[in-house]
Amino acid sequence: MTQKYRAAPKDDLIWHDLDSMMLLYHRPSGITHMLADPVPAIIEVMANAPLTAAEIAARLTALFDVETGVDAEDIVIARLDELRTLGLVSRVSG
Amino acid sequence: MGGMHQILLKIGPAAFRIASAWRQPLEQLEALYQDYPQPTGEHVDFTVRLEPEKPWRRHIRPSVHIGGDFWLPDAAPLPLTQGLLAAEMGMNLQMALGWRRHLLLHASSVEKEGKALIMTGLSGSGKSTLSGMLAERGWRFMGDEFALLSLDSGEITPFPRLISLKNKAVEAMQQLAPADRFGPEMKATPKGDIRHLVPPKEAIARMDETARPTLLLFPRFGHAPELRDMGQAEIFVRLTQASTNYVALGEAGFHALTRFVDQVPTRAMDYQSVEQAEELIDSLWSQLP
Amino acid sequence: MMRDARPLVDALREPASVEALSGSQWTDLISIARAESLIGSLAHRLERVTMPGRVRAVLQDAIGAHDLARQQALWEADCAQRALADYPGKIVLMKGTAYVAANMSAGVGRSIGDLDIMVAREDLTVVETALLDAGWEWVKPDPYDDQYYRDHMHELPPLIHRERDRMIDVHHTILPLTAGPTPNAGAILNSAVRLDNGLYVMAPADMVLHSIAHLFADGDLAGGLRNLWDINHLLRDFAAADEEFWAQLDSRAKVHGLVDELARALRLAAAVYDTPVDASLAGRSALTDSLYVRRLLARDGYGRETRKFTRFAFYVRSHWLRMPPLMLARHLWTKWRKGGKP
Repeated sequence: MTQKYRAAPKDDLIWHDLDSMMLLYHRPSGITHMLADPVPAIIEVMANAPLTAAEIAARLTALFDVETGVDAEDIVIARLDELRTLGLVSRVSG
Repeated sequence: MGGMHQILLKIGPAAFRIASAWRQPLEQLEALYQDYPQPTGEHVDFTVRLEPEKPWRRHIRPSVHIGGDFWLPDAAPLPLTQGLLAAEMGMNLQMALGWRRHLLLHASSVEKEGKALIMTGLSGSGKSTLSGMLAERGWRFMGDEFALLSLDSGEITPFPRLISLKNKAVEAMQQLAPADRFGPEMKATPKGDIRHLVPPKEAIARMDETARPTLLLFPRFGHAPELRDMGQAEIFVRLTQASTNYVALGEAGFHALTRFVDQVPTRAMDYQSVEQAEELIDSLWSQLP
Repeated sequence: MMRDARPLVDALREPASVEALSGSQWTDLISIARAESLIGSLAHRLERVTMPGRVRAVLQDAIGAHDLARQQALWEADCAQRALADYPGKIVLMKGTAYVAANMSAGVGRSIGDLDIMVAREDLTVVETALLDAGWEWVKPDPYDDQYYRDHMHELPPLIHRERDRMIDVHHTILPLTAGPTPNAGAILNSAVRLDNGLYVMAPADMVLHSIAHLFADGDLAGGLRNLWDINHLLRDFAAADEEFWAQLDSRAKVHGLVDELARALRLAAAVYDTPVDASLAGRSALTDSLYVRRLLARDGYGRETRKFTRFAFYVRSHWLRMPPLMLARHLWTKWRKGGKP
């Protein structure tokens, strides 16, 4: 799939690390999100440019140990859909 | 439109006008709050209104509707005999819906040596009773309903209203505090049998002195005494649930609460008596910075 | 003790006039402003005025609270837009959300409740489906109310977002279908103005007429002072920006059948807020104008609604406006049977 995704601009996001979860304060909405791995990492690797799900998965597997047999791209797509519902990620058209 | 009587009250940083169709609740409030300062210049932050639920319920089986500058639809009325409780609930409502100068936590707080102990939990956890008891045993009472967390300094500001004692706690406190500090008995209120207790004079005199939050407890009454660690994520979530204005404060609320969770040691505390609770608290207190 | 809301109106018109207020008068003014949902607007109007410290803190809090409301309203509009990304028709913002989205003076300090949008009537089902898919759900499950809404009202039954807990009202015209005047919804959609973000707001004259329709037709003039304050701002800004504005207002009022309502609203705005209005559109004072003003100002220093008889007369009359008598009887009877207040 060549669909690219873009994350909310860095200036819109304030992160805070709690022991087992990451907090994300999203300024345009005023909503505080509590995110578990790998979601914070997904948003972080998208920080500078729009990426496809495959590109995101590749960067994640470079950063983390991923179990064999797990389709990282499927997981990424599922998380991206959730993030789109929350307004933290959008699809790039064209 | 009936006439209204009114009094002004200042508690900690907040000032109220309590307007009532009946004199009785105001007379009770005035007596119990007699040692509190008056708001300067008669300026207040909120007006609470106690009015008849329906015009014909002013004199016959008088029924109090709790209203004010901030209000909730479908608020359940109280009988006039519980008018004092209605006034206290009205003040809680104004704070919960309208206060923005601190992050509000549903918690009690007491102070010793400039350090604040904060206790939060659901109704029945014992946070009010514990704060009342500790206030008679060497601690300074700061509040039993709301802990006010400063958005810039991170300190706790006192908000020492009448302490709300329920059911068995009333008898227990009557062993410790003189009769003239108690309000009227109110049986079978929506929150059980209630009696209000005026905080100690020192708590009132020092109501402008803040304290650094040093220990956060989630007390749970009726279980064998134990202290347990808690994960930060759980603490954060439970505190947002215990805060009425976290969302309303936006970014400032986020910074204040995350800093609080980062800096304040926290335990879950199970106990079966105030003596047990005191022991557990003392064991922690001495180890804290 | 303030007996009516005149001091609030005076403060909004002449900010400097508050410098003479005593402590208890400030308390009254604040209670009146909160009751009329005008404290945010008042706080902005009084930004440069000298006042006691605690009063300043109260007004600052109002500004903070309304800033949050504005932020949440714009986010809600954004969420609706994303949910309707595949819908090709115009999504027209209404009321407070429109004012803040278009950066209008009427949006400054405005309290905003639900998100109100207007779409073409034939697209209601498509829009409803998209919103339900995106996490909104129905608020009123009762089949009678549901049917009533769909057949007679100018909006879908209310929807609330299951996670954000915020309501959206989807309108297809600006007045209930059973009311007297029948505005031309198609004309409103055709003339709607596009914002940078792809959402729409009504054209100036339509925006004013919608607010006027709302003032007289929705409820017993409840929230009337706030509604009229909006109208005051809209009229001032649009008249200053375009010398054709009054002519457009005249012709659109005829298109929507709101000529009398326009005239009365202009007279009331002039009387209450000193709004400069076109004399020929405003027409001559009616005897009932002063009754309307009394009703608008019926709030005492404790924040209580006063003048009960005037209020009751307005309530019955406004329900009459919205529904023909036979329907009114049936609707009230069913509501009464189910224990709701009429």
